[in-house]
Amino acid sequence: MNAATPDRSGLLKWYPSRWRERYGEEMAAVMEDFLDGRPPSRRFRASIAWAGLRERGHETGLFGDSGPAGARLRAACLLVLCAWSAFVVAGASFAKIAENFDLAVPAHARALAADSWYTVSLGAVVAGTFVLVGAAMAMPAFVRFLRSGGWPSVRGHVVRAASSSIVAVAAASGLVALAHTLTPAERNGALLYHPVVWYYLVAFIATALVVGVSLALWTAAAVATASRIVLPEGVVSAEAVLALAVAGGMVLMTAATALWWGAIGSSAAWYLQGVRPGSPASAVSTNLAATMALMVLACAVASYGVVRILRSWSELRLA
Amino acid sequence: MATARNGLRRPNDPPVLILTSLASGPKHGHALAKDIEEFAGVALGPGTLYGAITRLEERGLIEPLGSDDRRRPYRITAAGAGALADVLADMQRLAAVGTSRLGPLAGRLA
Repeated sequence: MNAATPDRSGLLKWYPSRWRERYGEEMAAVMEDFLDGRPPSRRFRASIAWAGLRERGHETGLFGDSGPAGARLRAACLLVLCAWSAFVVAGASFAKIAENFDLAVPAHARALAADSWYTVSLGAVVAGTFVLVGAAMAMPAFVRFLRSGGWPSVRGHVVRAASSSIVAVAAASGLVALAHTLTPAERNGALLYHPVVWYYLVAFIATALVVGVSLALWTAAAVATASRIVLPEGVVSAEAVLALAVAGGMVLMTAATALWWGAIGSSAAWYLQGVRPGSPASAVSTNLAATMALMVLACAVASYGVVRILRSWSELRLA
Repeated sequence: MATARNGLRRPNDPPVLILTSLASGPKHGHALAKDIEEFAGVALGPGTLYGAITRLEERGLIEPLGSDDRRRPYRITAAGAGALADVLADMQRLAAVGTSRLGPLAGRLA
């Protein structure tokens, strides 16, 4: 076997280990037959990578309908949880963009924007509460999992997430201390010629990254744990109801954010650009566009999860 | 519909093509791909091929045969033959309806 053979080029690593144990040798032989001594092209590698990822999706219950409906239902709930984590990042970004807008924008121009903002805030509290309720409902099963010696299998995930949280709290504390030395306009990116505003901007981005990584690591820990614990059927169904509610909340909050953007953009676009009140300014904000894009992406992922939940449910009812 | 329950939908679906190929006898992966390209003109890559083989084996529609070689052959099971017969019957019904409706239309358009 030469250096270009599929085994050595690591193509099979895209597949889950259980699949490789069963089909790995055969697949390597088939790839050798297809390649006929030629090195794998980029297109060939990409097709194998995609197929391997799809196989991972099948194994975790995220693609296809080959696994048990109960496992697919649970996987779909976890997908909504992952979408929610991404949405939290977008929500935090929106909170930063909309910070103190009610003080900066005149009353006649902010009625619709204020209603939209309250809708987003209320949605965040309600959906966040649902996520916590879901976590609390899984707690007895989690305790049983720990008592039966499951801790070593998730220890790495939890330790990484906890370590990142310590860094995130330290970074956020430093940022808050720095923020108290600035005016609201400076915190929103105005007066960029002032060095301290640049320090704040860099500190803000670094803190946002650390918090985002921490959130992602906690989500990964939650998914790793949830996929190992044994949840009673009733709890899985209740988690599915909560997941549907959270996904619905995400869509509502995204619509409210778009409404807020429209309202501010039409009546006080200067606020979005951080320029002097009343100055002519564009309603197109890169930060807000990126925030909206992340919200829409999270909603799309959650919607896929919702479709999987409903399909698995109907199968469970039929069974 | 029985065919949809078995994950078989369109005529060019890899599972349908694989079952059709195996209907003429057991084959290993590469032989399957070559046969399918020959009779259907569809080039299945190794990723798509083995994704479909995995699903078909999970559903009990095909089964592996013992082999000392790394190139393991597969054969169609009785359930697989039944599923293929169902999907082919659906296709025949569709082809019959389409052909009967196209006849008068082709005459008008000519």
